Amino acid sequence: MVENPSVTDERNGSAITEDEAALYDRQIRLWGLDAQKRLRASCVLLVGIKGLGAEICKNLVLSGVKSVTIVDPNPVNEQDFVSQFLVQRQDIGKNIHINDICHDNGVKFFAADVFGFYGYMFADLGEHKFVEEEPKIIEASDNESSRSDGEPKAKYRKVDVNETTIVQKFAEFYRLKAALACKLDNRTEKILKRLPSVYFMIKVILRFQSQYGRLPQTTMNTGERDNLLTLRDEVMKELNLDVTLLPDEFASHCTAEVSPICAIVGGIVGQEVVKAVSGKDAPLNNFFFYNGLEGHGTVECFN
Amino acid sequence: MASMAGTSEIYRNVLGSDLSQCVENAKVLMVGAGGIGCELLKNLVLTGFKDIEVIDLDTIDVSNLNRQFLFQKRHVGKSKAEVSRESALRFNPDANIKARHDNIMSPEYGVDFFKQFNVVMNALDNRAARNHVNRMCLAADVPLVESGTAGYLGQATVIKKGVTECYECQPKPTQKTFPGCTIRNTPSEAIHCIVWAKHLFNQLFGEADADEEVSPDTEDPEAVGAAGEKAVQNQEKEDAIGGIERASTRTWAEDIGYDPVKLFNKLFNEDIKYLLSMDKLWRKRKPPVPLDWETIKKACNNEEKEADNGLQDQRVWSPEECSDIFSQSIDTLKQQLLARGEDLVWDKDDTASMDFVTSAANIRAHIFSIAMKSRFDVKAMAGNIIPAIATTNAIISGVIVMQALNILNGNLDKCKTIYLNRKPNPRKRLLVPCGLVPPNPKCYVCAAKPEVTVFLNTETLTVKTLEEKILKERFGMVAPDVEIEDGKGSILISSEEGETEQNLPKTLSEFHVGNSARLKADDFLQNYQLVLNIKHRDNLEDDVEFEVEGDVPAPRPLSPEPGPSTEPEERENQAAAGDNDEVMIVDEPAPSRKRKADESQQEAEEQQDMETAKRARVSDATADEDDDDIIAL
Ligand SMILES: [Zn+2]
Repeated sequence: MVENPSVTDERNGSAITEDEAALYDRQIRLWGLDAQKRLRASCVLLVGIKGLGAEICKNLVLSGVKSVTIVDPNPVNEQDFVSQFLVQRQDIGKNIHINDICHDNGVKFFAADVFGFYGYMFADLGEHKFVEEEPKIIEASDNESSRSDGEPKAKYRKVDVNETTIVQKFAEFYRLKAALACKLDNRTEKILKRLPSVYFMIKVILRFQSQYGRLPQTTMNTGERDNLLTLRDEVMKELNLDVTLLPDEFASHCTAEVSPICAIVGGIVGQEVVKAVSGKDAPLNNFFFYNGLEGHGTVECFN
Repeated sequence: MASMAGTSEIYRNVLGSDLSQCVENAKVLMVGAGGIGCELLKNLVLTGFKDIEVIDLDTIDVSNLNRQFLFQKRHVGKSKAEVSRESALRFNPDANIKARHDNIMSPEYGVDFFKQFNVVMNALDNRAARNHVNRMCLAADVPLVESGTAGYLGQATVIKKGVTECYECQPKPTQKTFPGCTIRNTPSEAIHCIVWAKHLFNQLFGEADADEEVSPDTEDPEAVGAAGEKAVQNQEKEDAIGGIERASTRTWAEDIGYDPVKLFNKLFNEDIKYLLSMDKLWRKRKPPVPLDWETIKKACNNEEKEADNGLQDQRVWSPEECSDIFSQSIDTLKQQLLARGEDLVWDKDDTASMDFVTSAANIRAHIFSIAMKSRFDVKAMAGNIIPAIATTNAIISGVIVMQALNILNGNLDKCKTIYLNRKPNPRKRLLVPCGLVPPNPKCYVCAAKPEVTVFLNTETLTVKTLEEKILKERFGMVAPDVEIEDGKGSILISSEEGETEQNLPKTLSEFHVGNSARLKADDFLQNYQLVLNIKHRDNLEDDVEFEVEGDVPAPRPLSPEPGPSTEPEERENQAAAGDNDEVMIVDEPAPSRKRKADESQQEAEEQQDMETAKRARVSDATADEDDDDIIAL
């Protein structure tokens, strides 16, 4: 299997037509022609097509990938040859299983979901090589630095906006299994407090799913909320962590796929897939969490 | 995408019955149906909004299709507002969407129009319209969600009268311009040549502007050391080019029938030789090398045209190719001029216009030993193109709806300015919420009695410049009336057509407007009054007609990784003198809230605490005010 099929597999030739150049003008200006060439040679398998899946699909089609194949959760087949794998709203066993196949075969894997006002993305890009453009830095000459405002010259490093250097980089990713089994109780209280609570919420919802065979359905119902809070207490106890790391409010805001949250998480996933297949720019490693009540989106590496 | 259609039941479940009721009853206005607008309209419809008005002046272009997903190839040339409405209705046929293919700055949309809405959402790309909507929302006391994106970066914030900063509370850097003599005499960067070529286009085919001369500037202070020398040079100049300067470039071009060879030799040979004669300019610079048509044609060898990825746009043309394209594009533009019978307007999407500017700029760059650029790169600089992608717009449009939900829910205190960074910040945040900031008491827009001090030369500045450049361009008024505070209430400018036309060419001093005069400017549509305190200055720099107290000079390039939210602004300021459409201005509110890329954890925490404090203040102030909001890039 190919380690990074998207980079080596340009089977349809690489020439971008004038029409494509006009259509993708505004993004070629952002990520460059090479990235666009890789995009147009890449194939994505998308598993699940509800609100979030539709957002992701739209973003990928707009970006100009060669194909997006959509399947419903069940018929996933190990023989599928894909350069990207996207999974959402699966039970955890399946996600972990698919991730393992991908990881072993050098296929980039993403999982993402939206629960009410919250959402997340997980990425396992294996051993990921990418390039980053960095501005060329030129020390300001004496002339230029003697500015009328008298600022010391050390403050002005001049960046030539027209010139950049391409730097090759590397990032190592971990399997979903490892990311979810991450031990945390040896970390300091300060570090724990900074962890995005959505991580714990995902664990609670996964527990809910395996216990009840479905996702939490309505928050109008206090019974459902109480069940979630009970599972929260259970999960946090097993992790040997304080329950306040996942405040109660999550239980009232974690059902259904809220459209703006799908747009936000779907936008993040879309951009990460573009980065993954184009090999351009540093990917988010390995979780992104969005908290719609607080308005923040956080990247955290669990392994 | 059938599954994207939300149902009221789901929204009652997730939003709670109160909020979903608010959403269903809310009447909202969306200004702009472009990149952010398409995403936003989809989100609004899917979130259960039922009563939506969309306004956009623009029509669909092929370069919109990479992100404006409500549009398809067959829609190119049609109204964005109307097509976005039709497409969005397919997600939810029950929504009531009203589309207006119109300019939001038109007098039709007065304060009463804005008052009908519970929330206004901006999805705009230019500062003039943002300033205007900001004022209309202040006047109507309607909360505004302001937003913007540029490449990977984005932001969205809320503006509420009396509670938060308005869009104009923090002075925004003015657009960068280049000194006339750099453009005309001593270009040192590609952008100087591109600006020159655009000026040349206007001189030859468009509306000529006295500020856009392209011929050598004999009054370059650097070249004229002594008065005697200047006289000599002027003499030489007339000898050298036979008094061509006296006639306008346009008249001369018409007289020679737009002969490309004559134009070429005048611009790239005679004018350059003339510049060389101003030898002081070249003591510390590499002198330019004049080109002439005959030589360049002879030099035209059969060099292999490197087919770099096959795209004509991406390749840097040789000087020979440039001269061919220069000649061809002049012929085409001449025909266009004849066919239209009126001045051409430079358009980056018009092939001949773009070819002309690319070739002329590159020939000039070649003459001055400046690296030549591909048509693709010239287009970015000449057209002020800000790259744009679907994903950033999708994220920001989601954030806008979250802001709107907080507003409708009565939780203004939960609204924040949200920045989308390119990379996680030191606190690992990719989406960064910052507390809203209270209004700037000195804001020249939202202060109770706004005043501003303007430095200008009352002996030379005309009433026309006051109206066009100061009141309209700088202070964003649409149709100002101006009264002199002289005890008699003399009218200097009236927005009624024909009433004060005769004043326009006169200088301020002719109306006894001198140092310390006070002018009351009033824009009826915006319900906005501004007092200008005039300070006479006769020593303003060259090319500067006026200065506003407290203005921020255009920023110089900063250290390597600019703070995430600073980038769009810088890009804007690097951009050239263009001023068209979709792509141009990427604004952002409140420079005070910019975050440094290198902020330490500790500082970040302090910042966070500060923000908490700010939020507390904001919520105190909320008591009985109506809202206004903010725009993000
Ligand atoms: Zn203000």
